[in-house]
Amino acid sequence: MQVEKMGFPTAPLVTIAFKDLAKSNAASRGMPLERVCFLPHPMTNKSDEEMYKVLEGNDPVTNKPLMPEIIAALTQPLTADEKKTGTISPDIGPPTYVGTQDELQRLYCDNNLTDFMPIILPTEEKVEAMLKGTSHKPDEVIGKLSAAQGAQPSWTFTVRHVAINAVMAGASPEHLPVILAISSTGQPSLFSSTSSFSRMVMLNGPISDQIKMNYGIGAMGPFAEPNAVIGRAWTILSKNLGGCGVPGLSYLGTLGSNFNYNNLCIAETENRLPDGWKPFHVQKGFKADESVVSIFSGWSLNNVAWFPNMPYHELIKNWLTHFFSFGTTAATLLLDPTIAREAKEKGFNSKEELSDYWSKNSKTPAWLYWDQHQRELKQGQQGVEPYASYLKMGDGEIPFQRFYRRGRPGGPVDANPKSSIEIIVLGGETNTYWAGGDFSYVTSASIDKWR
Amino acid sequence: MKINRRKLLSLIGVSPAVLAGSPALADDKKKKNGKAASHGPEKIEVLNPKGMPPAVQLVPMAPRLDTLEGKTVFLVSDGFAGADRFLNQIAIWFQKNMPSVKTVYRLKAGSYFDDDPKLMAEIKASGNAMIMAYGH
Repeated sequence: MQVEKMGFPTAPLVTIAFKDLAKSNAASRGMPLERVCFLPHPMTNKSDEEMYKVLEGNDPVTNKPLMPEIIAALTQPLTADEKKTGTISPDIGPPTYVGTQDELQRLYCDNNLTDFMPIILPTEEKVEAMLKGTSHKPDEVIGKLSAAQGAQPSWTFTVRHVAINAVMAGASPEHLPVILAISSTGQPSLFSSTSSFSRMVMLNGPISDQIKMNYGIGAMGPFAEPNAVIGRAWTILSKNLGGCGVPGLSYLGTLGSNFNYNNLCIAETENRLPDGWKPFHVQKGFKADESVVSIFSGWSLNNVAWFPNMPYHELIKNWLTHFFSFGTTAATLLLDPTIAREAKEKGFNSKEELSDYWSKNSKTPAWLYWDQHQRELKQGQQGVEPYASYLKMGDGEIPFQRFYRRGRPGGPVDANPKSSIEIIVLGGETNTYWAGGDFSYVTSASIDKWR
Repeated sequence: MKINRRKLLSLIGVSPAVLAGSPALADDKKKKNGKAASHGPEKIEVLNPKGMPPAVQLVPMAPRLDTLEGKTVFLVSDGFAGADRFLNQIAIWFQKNMPSVKTVYRLKAGSYFDDDPKLMAEIKASGNAMIMAYGH
């Protein structure tokens, strides 16, 4: 579209699986009649010969010969509709709805305004009561939310909007500052990607005890009201305040993620941290007595119930070596306090020391290394070191440390990369279990600001 | 024998407050007062939970070329796997069928929703049109 704005004709090509998304994206950007041409899906697994045959075939949407259609997209004169200018204001429906409770539950559900579980219907009275949970004015604009910033439209929302959605999720006024803080990050719980992102949201600071978050037995399960409703509120508000979660348009996750119902809403067990181990929010620069919410993004979590014949920090190092997921360069470990205590006894005086140990001493399986380093494979085959030596290691482990923040691909490389492994301590100490996943830290926000 | 419901339910741990809210109990009270129980559903008014999507400013499309013959067409990959190979096949198609069309392949920098000002400047300076591939 940038090229069209410069005055040059374009022919965007999109596979048919994204037909609706392509059209709605074009419309939301102001070019509803953009001349998109469609291809069969998928294309990535086709050979060069098969790809050429696609060019000689038909557009699967219009059923017209593809290459002539691409050429026509660039040469056929514009129609009167394609030359139109002006502004279109999207219609979000009336400010209120009237009906019986059953009718309204059905209406909200059928219009994808919920997580498809019954909600607390947001009457004016309930929303006014919810707004007592913050000192901020109802009409204050909090920010923008989008299913994929830069690729999907950014919606604007206010304190009142968040309060309405918090009521729907079953939250109480005391939970509202947390939900406002989450919304203020501009992070959606339902990102649009085909890879089915999951999110995790964690509370630190005095807020956890003030609102009675559970961080003991069952810390990651359905055992306390705030853990349940805060996580739920994030999903519901992401749909209604950011336009997220419309399958085929603003949500393309092919498998989806069950984590999206609650977003792994947890609190760290700060009162059981070993001496010298800082709470997560303090690691990120906040004071211990500040109440903070932190957001993580990833896809999956391994809940490991295993009694090793080695210290747990060695077991987890081995797990990191062999752990594979979409994101293979970041990890978050959730440790029961018993595991954290053992690590401290073994000499890890801080989370940072343990994280650094893991980053430095974990390796990469040969198959994964070569799959991700094709250029290095060719160099190794030509005798270039260290890749030639890596090849001689066969199918074992390559001494390549994955878990560092080295910078974005194609961008500048960080000369002193930091460990990309985050550590959270939580749980009820009923056993020495832990969980690890590909979550990476995104951002934190002050809850106190929204009280 | 008439059973005292309040006493019976309290024995199994149900608070009298719950009983007070019980519709059945409410009906019993109304019958005692001589009035018939009402079961009609009440209508309530609730709020639209949606935020504010942006207004859309219509963008006029660029004028089209009379012909591609003798023109320069940029073939731009957005970085998705295989897009480069597919665009190469388009370049081969033009070589075979419209050899006067000059094609220039480029990989757009950044992620698929990042702008690439350098590429835009190059197209402006030396291109006539663009074909971009593809969403998966």
